[in-house]
Amino acid sequence: MQIKLSKISAYWWCQLTGWGGNALMNFFFAWTFNRAITTPFIIRSFFIVLLGLLLTHFMRWNLLRLNVLQKTFDKQIFYFFGITFGFSVLYSLISLSLFNILGLFTPEQKVYSFSRLLIGSSINAFVTLLVWNLIYFIYHYVERVRKQQLDALQMQSVVRELELKTIKAHINPHFIFNSLNGIRALVDENPARARTAITELSNILRSSMQAEKLETVPFEKELAIVQDYLALEQMRFEERLKVNFDIEEDTLDLPVPPMMLQTLVENAIKHGISKNVAGGEIKISSKFAGNHHELVIRNTGRLNGNFNTDGFGISSTQSRLKLMFGDSANFTIADVNGDEVEAKVKMPIEGL
Amino acid sequence: MHKRAIIIDDERLARNELKKLLTDFPEIEVIDEASNAEEGLQKIEALNPDLIFLDIQMPGKTGFDLLSELDRTPEVIFTTAYDEYALRAFEVNALDYLLKPIEPKRLADAIHKLDEDEKEHIDGESISVNRSMLSENDQVFVKDGERCWFVKLSDIRLFESVGNYAKVYFGPNKPLILKSLNALEERLDEKTFFRANRKHIVNLRMIEKVEPYFNGGLLLEIYGGDKIEVSRRQAVKFKEMMSL
Repeated sequence: MQIKLSKISAYWWCQLTGWGGNALMNFFFAWTFNRAITTPFIIRSFFIVLLGLLLTHFMRWNLLRLNVLQKTFDKQIFYFFGITFGFSVLYSLISLSLFNILGLFTPEQKVYSFSRLLIGSSINAFVTLLVWNLIYFIYHYVERVRKQQLDALQMQSVVRELELKTIKAHINPHFIFNSLNGIRALVDENPARARTAITELSNILRSSMQAEKLETVPFEKELAIVQDYLALEQMRFEERLKVNFDIEEDTLDLPVPPMMLQTLVENAIKHGISKNVAGGEIKISSKFAGNHHELVIRNTGRLNGNFNTDGFGISSTQSRLKLMFGDSANFTIADVNGDEVEAKVKMPIEGL
Repeated sequence: MHKRAIIIDDERLARNELKKLLTDFPEIEVIDEASNAEEGLQKIEALNPDLIFLDIQMPGKTGFDLLSELDRTPEVIFTTAYDEYALRAFEVNALDYLLKPIEPKRLADAIHKLDEDEKEHIDGESISVNRSMLSENDQVFVKDGERCWFVKLSDIRLFESVGNYAKVYFGPNKPLILKSLNALEERLDEKTFFRANRKHIVNLRMIEKVEPYFNGGLLLEIYGGDKIEVSRRQAVKFKEMMSL
């Protein structure tokens, strides 16, 4: 039978090195104190180690059977000392009986009565087993803390992933059904426009589904979605919605979080244009600002300090930027020019 | 059945689509349309329709805001893209709503239901000559925070003045509406709704017991257990009315 070293568990490593070390120490002390290393000494040492191995293994079996490690701290301490004490007595009782039968007592030992030998040997064994149990309990305690930390970390990453997914997948159902309704009306009124509207809606739905899988998309793609989205909103709002793009050509290749601009534009429509009977204008600009990519969305309207009430777009944008870029990205939203709201995103260019 | 209807929706395409669907129902005559709540309010006051198709999300005021500003609401069918949660706010009343894009079958059901409701009420029909007065069969829209009701005036037992608001008592509910008691008194039929004192208007059909009170006043006990004091001056008027 072959035993691969890597297959030996930590427990058996500790057992073997521990008891091996114990035997070596015995020899070392015998040597330093100039005691004769006789055959009975070697046999005694051998029995001490073998018995120690067997008994501690039996002790561990009891610890596992009683589920001591799962108990409360008070109970663990109680069991810890109780079991250590019990097994020390058992250990010395067996070893002394064995030495007695086999006639392995040293000349000094023969002087004392058996009960006195038992007390002395038990105290010795108690110290040894105390160390054994301390190592055993501490090992498991440390192991458990480490596992808890690992679980917590895994949990965090799962939560983070889920958060990102739900944020990305967000498309306003109100928008989808209103668009479909508009398209149905256009089927008779303007069939050609109805056909493009269906394509535009498909593009938006497809990209919102793909957004879950992607960390970033080229700005050009994101912009195409926003253009489709605004075309559909213009179909619904007609002359009430005006759109204005100011895009620096070189920013088209920059990576951006998927559906982020889309969410901000959707917010601008929802809070800015759709609330206003006369409608309004949306301006989108993308340019370089130092070593940052700056996206600006402006819409007619006022914040009126109430953007916390329906702050899904704002809080989700903030947390998405934070998750992707840490503190090097930044998002602000403010009233400007008296009757406009400006949302501004700054993303580091080489931060990805 | 013939009903004059107004469509109120901010999207022209949505209004067109509904008009097209309604061509299958000759009993519904679309007399006008409005693209926001303000315009809707004016047209309802001016044209006095039997029925409105009302979108909830509109620029400026919502469909709910529009209803709260009406003294008397016509029959209402809500049309909305995705506001089921908002419609769940409705408690007691049988109100209908259509989800856009509207299914022709659902529209037929909703119109059929209007027809049936009308047959039930045919006996209680009172043709009020003066449309500025509210009759018992008129319904009002009441919104209190998240909850909304369509309430028939005959189901209201008491109006109580609370500052600029009036508390409306019906069933187990007591929501507030933004109307003064004096304004209400002007519009309510005084044969049914009696101004008992400075703070209360009582529905006379909801009185359970009448007891004499201090100073020649009266104490009215209305259904639900509330006790309302009638001032001496009003007590004279009350006795006069009751003896008739």
